[in-house]
Amino acid sequence: MQRVGIVGYNQVKLYSDANYGRYEMIFEAVRGAIDSAGLKKKDITTVISCTNDYYEGRTISNCFTVEVGGGYMADESKVEMDGAHAVLYGLMRILSGNHKLAVIWGGSMASCFPYHSARLYETDPTWERPVAYVNDISSAGFQMRAYLQKYGVNNEDIAKIAVKNRKNASKNPLALEEAKNPNITIKDVLESGIYADPVTELMVAQPCDGVAALLLAPEKQALKITDNPVWITGVGYSQDTYYLGDRDLSGSKSMEVASKMAFNAAGIKDPKSEINVAELFEAYAHEEIIFSEAIGFAEKGKGAELNTEIDGEIPINPSGGAIGGNPPCGTGLIRIIEAAKQLRGEANGYQVKNARKAIASGQIGMCAQNNILFVLEGGN
Amino acid sequence: MGRQVAIVSAGYSEHASKRSDVNMAELVSEAVEDCLKKVPSVGFEDIDAYVNGNMPAFEGSNLPELWMTDWMGARNKPLIRVTTGGTTGGTVAIAGYYTVTAGLPGIDTVLAIAFEQQSQGDTSVGLASVAYGELSVLNTLGMSYEHLTRLLSAGAAIGVASYQATNYMRKSKITEEDLARVVVQNRHNAAKTWWAHLKMPNLTIEEVLDTPYISYPLRYGMVCPASDGACAVLFTTEEKAKDMCDIPVYVNGVASVAHESAVLGYDGSGSGQIDPSEQLGAMRSSELAYSQAGISMPRKEIDYAEVYAPFPNQELMWVEKLGLFEETTAPQMYENGVTGLKGELPICCSGGVNSTNAIGASALERPAEAALQIMGKASNQVPKSVHTAIGHGWGGSLNLCTMLVMADEPQRKWR
Repeated sequence: MQRVGIVGYNQVKLYSDANYGRYEMIFEAVRGAIDSAGLKKKDITTVISCTNDYYEGRTISNCFTVEVGGGYMADESKVEMDGAHAVLYGLMRILSGNHKLAVIWGGSMASCFPYHSARLYETDPTWERPVAYVNDISSAGFQMRAYLQKYGVNNEDIAKIAVKNRKNASKNPLALEEAKNPNITIKDVLESGIYADPVTELMVAQPCDGVAALLLAPEKQALKITDNPVWITGVGYSQDTYYLGDRDLSGSKSMEVASKMAFNAAGIKDPKSEINVAELFEAYAHEEIIFSEAIGFAEKGKGAELNTEIDGEIPINPSGGAIGGNPPCGTGLIRIIEAAKQLRGEANGYQVKNARKAIASGQIGMCAQNNILFVLEGGN
Repeated sequence: MGRQVAIVSAGYSEHASKRSDVNMAELVSEAVEDCLKKVPSVGFEDIDAYVNGNMPAFEGSNLPELWMTDWMGARNKPLIRVTTGGTTGGTVAIAGYYTVTAGLPGIDTVLAIAFEQQSQGDTSVGLASVAYGELSVLNTLGMSYEHLTRLLSAGAAIGVASYQATNYMRKSKITEEDLARVVVQNRHNAAKTWWAHLKMPNLTIEEVLDTPYISYPLRYGMVCPASDGACAVLFTTEEKAKDMCDIPVYVNGVASVAHESAVLGYDGSGSGQIDPSEQLGAMRSSELAYSQAGISMPRKEIDYAEVYAPFPNQELMWVEKLGLFEETTAPQMYENGVTGLKGELPICCSGGVNSTNAIGASALERPAEAALQIMGKASNQVPKSVHTAIGHGWGGSLNLCTMLVMADEPQRKWR
């Protein structure tokens, strides 16, 4: 795979109840990204947006975002998954040679819609939806329980991840204020309200308002635009089967397949020693552990033993991860931006030392049915 | 740089107003089966990745590709979902093209699937919610209710279409009879297409003009039906395509240029003051796609066209805007039989969207049918040989457009 350059990005601050319109938010993100690269609107050749009609409460949700997203008279399309999948489509468009600069933006305003009701429409309409027993909340409970029971891991080990991510988020100025807590303890996490037993409230990545934008360019153009591009050297994505009973919830088959594909493309043989920092979209604290095992950072059942602090053996989510703020359709895109910041040395306050190779992931579906993983490399 | 992409097969489910014998996933699997049946050497294990899309609001299912994973054979395979309203099918086709041309390691053959089962939900409610956002804003600004309800009709398809139709009629000075003629040609063609919905082999212009108005100048007999149906198209690389089928159809140009929305404008999303029959986005899309395909004289070089026209006025307008005929001359071409099955430039021999409209699938059925015409495998095959064909789609508030240019010869990229 030819490498493709990330030449600019911007993320708006995440709010649980943003006091401005979504169009303004999109404009702020996209304009900021273009400005950060010192480019002009006319340089854009293609725009890929990422929204979801159910989350926007509007059919054809990309219909009225054309102008604010920089898509007027540009080759425009929309991916209805996670923002990270939109980056994949932008990447494909750059690799095709048809385009010289791709804008990718994604995000939504969770304060404007009942997130869990919208996600209930994801379920099988015949058997599952009428009883609503299987939904994104209960499935998270199944997933965590399956992991704990299979490997004999404690709730405390999972709570540790939430503590780490919330502490990290407090160093990230763009993270959600509600998610920041530098003094949080494991006890606080375990004693917060039960969300879907054994998942507690503070283990959940809270849906919030936010939009992020990213610019991609082919190698030659990227080197002209910036002295400090971040390269996408590998990508993998995969979708598991739907029914929870058909899956092994204690692991993540789709992340295994996706990471294999990504590492193969990027020529990575031993991810644990080669990757310096990871930004993973963990919708729940336990998913971070499941993913780190699927990726190959740890043996099955041993993910909780890894030191994933900012100065640890393999820092995961130094920005606070999705627990630090989870704007639907934007979270995976923000992971990629955060990984790029680490590689550029721009992560003030939560910078990982000597970060040269990073991974970033996105997901959709119950128990992360579809996962996507990017491999990023910094510098020249 | 990107690789040459070819279409090797296309398949359909049966289309009808109510496919209550199947659910959405089963409907999709019908199209997938039909697609793979035409290429016996290809099995599910040969498909490396998937692209999927529909209009999620119409059936009341969010991200339905998740639960239909196994019905597409997509378990543990890469899949992306793209949805852009009416252009969804075209967007799916274009994403299929890009997935192949990008050359990601291990991805050569891609199955692109688009579908709609409108009988599962309420399409008009889904379409009205295009406009709700604007309505609530205008309401708070104190706009009266009568004005708001008029805008609501702009959110649904017929509202914008009749607005567009009257604009076009004023420019080209046509009558309702010209509109009815397009409908008759489409419905006659649909009668010979196995998967089409409204098959009317004996329909006459008088019969069309005898139906009541829905919104002037569009009569009940002129508008598309609401269908249930699915379409699947198999994309692969040039090398693999030669082993999979006799006549691979090469995708030589793709574009989807967005223009400002035609009717509603608020918060920077368009002025709401443009003529919806101008279609700068469509013109720019065709320009881009033709230039990629090395076509300089579309009128002479294109042998067959499938345009996305739920309403007959749009078919007349699109064939002009896409460069197939001079402005305002299209009605004459329909009258002279140029666009018929045996004409010089046959258009929509599948019956078009005017006869079958499973919305999410419709814009994929256009390139699919154009590809089958090039292969010589279409249900209502034109007698002349087709070398170059286009598949078009429109969507949004008349502001989105997709274009695919296909041919039996690959276009080497000039870059």
